[in-house]
Amino acid sequence: MGVCITGIGVVSAIGMSVNENLNALREGRTGIGPLHYLQGTKASLAGEVKASNDELRAALGVGTEYVSRTSLLGLQAAREAWGDNKRSGVIRTGLISATSVGGMDRSEVFYKDYLAQNNPDYQLLTTHDSGSTTERIAKELGITGYINTLSTACSSGVNAIMLGARLILQGTLDRVLVGGSDALSGFTIDGFRSLMIYDDQWCRPFDDSRAGLNLGEGAGFLLLEGEKSLELTGNSPICNVSGWANAADAYHQTASSPDGKGATLAIENAIRRAGIGLDQISYVNAHGTGTKNNDHSESVALQNVFGDRVPPFSSTKAFTGHTLAAAGAIEAVFSVLAIQHNLIFPNLNYRAPIAETGLVPATQLETGVEVHAVLSNSFGFGGNNSSLVLTKYE
Amino acid sequence: MSKPALYLSAASTISHQPTFGNPGFSAALGPVEASSALISPDYKAYIDAGLLRRMSKILRMSVACAKDCVGQAGIGQPDAIVVGTGLGCLQDTEKFLNTSLTVEGLLPPTSFIQSTHNTMAGQISLSLGNHGYNMTHTQNTLSFEHALLDASMLLREGDRHVLVGAADEHIDILDDIAGRLAFKSDAPLTSGASFFMLSAENQGNAKASLADVYTSGGAGYGQEEIDAFLDRNGLQPGDIDLLLYAGTPAAGVPVQDAKRSLDYLSLIGVYPTASAFALHYAMDLLGANSEVRNVLICNTLRKSNLGLTLLKAVEA
Amino acid sequence: MDSLKEDLKKQIIEQLNLEDLTVADIADDALLFNDQGLGLDSIDALELIVLLEKYHGIQLTNPEEGKEAFKSVDTMAAYIRKRKAA
Repeated sequence: MGVCITGIGVVSAIGMSVNENLNALREGRTGIGPLHYLQGTKASLAGEVKASNDELRAALGVGTEYVSRTSLLGLQAAREAWGDNKRSGVIRTGLISATSVGGMDRSEVFYKDYLAQNNPDYQLLTTHDSGSTTERIAKELGITGYINTLSTACSSGVNAIMLGARLILQGTLDRVLVGGSDALSGFTIDGFRSLMIYDDQWCRPFDDSRAGLNLGEGAGFLLLEGEKSLELTGNSPICNVSGWANAADAYHQTASSPDGKGATLAIENAIRRAGIGLDQISYVNAHGTGTKNNDHSESVALQNVFGDRVPPFSSTKAFTGHTLAAAGAIEAVFSVLAIQHNLIFPNLNYRAPIAETGLVPATQLETGVEVHAVLSNSFGFGGNNSSLVLTKYE
Repeated sequence: MSKPALYLSAASTISHQPTFGNPGFSAALGPVEASSALISPDYKAYIDAGLLRRMSKILRMSVACAKDCVGQAGIGQPDAIVVGTGLGCLQDTEKFLNTSLTVEGLLPPTSFIQSTHNTMAGQISLSLGNHGYNMTHTQNTLSFEHALLDASMLLREGDRHVLVGAADEHIDILDDIAGRLAFKSDAPLTSGASFFMLSAENQGNAKASLADVYTSGGAGYGQEEIDAFLDRNGLQPGDIDLLLYAGTPAAGVPVQDAKRSLDYLSLIGVYPTASAFALHYAMDLLGANSEVRNVLICNTLRKSNLGLTLLKAVEA
Repeated sequence: MDSLKEDLKKQIIEQLNLEDLTVADIADDALLFNDQGLGLDSIDALELIVLLEKYHGIQLTNPEEGKEAFKSVDTMAAYIRKRKAA
């Protein structure tokens, strides 16, 4: 039976729930646009979640103002994935979240006042550390015990899912809520601008003219259950988490290797772990950030693994923006939706293949296909590469 | 449920105390002084100059310890690299935050690149040329225990050697913040990094055996959790030869009846992953003192988080 | 002695934290991005773009354009002079 997914939740620039996200994906509607809630940044476009912190707090019933947007977004998605499940004294339950910025959205408010000596509110810093964003989500959901946070830049979300699956298989936990969350912040927008990979126009993943990414924000969560938990909860599995792998590129601090070494290893090992053939992968939800370097390196890795039979693939980042640590979790939720509804999502904004590789992504919504297994890639800074294989529950 | 023992064959710590390249340090270690500073080795002996020039304190400490550890273990390449950090790369984070809020023109990217929590693990993989599993855990005061738990799982899944460690760095603003947030501790805030080679088998060079690791967050731990942990390892509190605990005024001594108790924060100072130093201290002591068989590290640095690590002497 | 080139060397050492080098160690024609030269990488290239703006008021928005300009101190000086003359 392995590890089953029984609940999903997502919030992103294209919607506040699984249904809203699914509708936007079907309709080819992007959430990337000018920033409305986060003011004072130099980004012309980003994938912002369409709700203020106050609106999120009110909707979630969170009283304190000392809560990061990262926690609020995470809680929104985690609640949806958790659904009506109950706490249990018998089912050992854990929570693993992933974040790269933690409470940076609050810390930069503090630090601005601190530099200006304008009566800074030190209490804001209690939400700074990444672990505290997860502790806040756990507290609101009433989960105690195994509570953990991973931070491996843009691959974090997939790594949280992988760790959760391993904890179940090793018998340490019976069920675990896994995912990732990151809020937009001036810090990350300036950071990617300083790397000169922030596109002032709408990002164009896998297009030959691509010139960088647009940041986004959001959260994705999935409820994973093992056999014992399923017997007790009676939940219906949606999908299996069948394969996963993490590998280091060990090439450069920020750039991916031109031969796609780490990415190739991650993809190959994840598919091997899933125990399925290469030809059984129905769809690849690519990392596809829209940067020159990532999309080239990822294309090379796909060709390394699949040769001239690369499965239909697309990046959904032209919908959501690059949501950093949340990306792997949000895209895992999208991958579940692909399996659940037999869909292949379009790669928006694509015109011409990358000259060096010639790979053409799916550009239209595909509805007439059987989607049995999805490979989802997430590659990050420091050469951290992760891949996940989800399969239809049978 | 009894799990097969794992083995610690190498350890390396850079801290405010003479811990680096100094086996047997546990015998003569006094309390850490508030005025103490980080004791840095000659980093050039461990780190390529091209990488070193950009590295902040936490990166230098981590890569040097990792390399030292791999050298001591003599195993070539570990199968995986797992790192815990409570607060991550504070120096570069503050630097870029400052730049981002004060500089009008183009921003230098280096401090942003090195502000992410996985920079240590990434730089270690780069320095070693390691393509294995590469993970960073950041769960406040339990970051190291979570890394250790992950490393233990990897060994049970078939890996043979895992490089596991933790690091946190002190920056000046932390003292101000600790004061404003009324954090109380008798020990000063410090920096430290500790790395270990954890292996599935004893290759004849094991210094200690890691019997069990446990973490619990969010509830405010209870004595029964500690008792249950000892129980599942077939021990009574009286069987603990040495209890290493985080001596905050709020927590007190968490286990009574241990033969000897020692507050590790008084030796190393306070940082979120200080329990990694406690593990090195315990290993060092187990290697030198045959009277000590069982060491329990009880991390209650934060009241809502409990970390328990049980070490045993290697059976002859 | 070309003072622009000397200034550039000082600025490069500072911007890139090349602690072990002095101005005298960098030849005018040494290849900056070659391991036989200074062995710089793509992060350094971004830092050099910042340097051009900070000290010389020159904006270079396409990192590709920097590849030619950043070959050596000689080519950097020539690039700065060309941009200032334009």
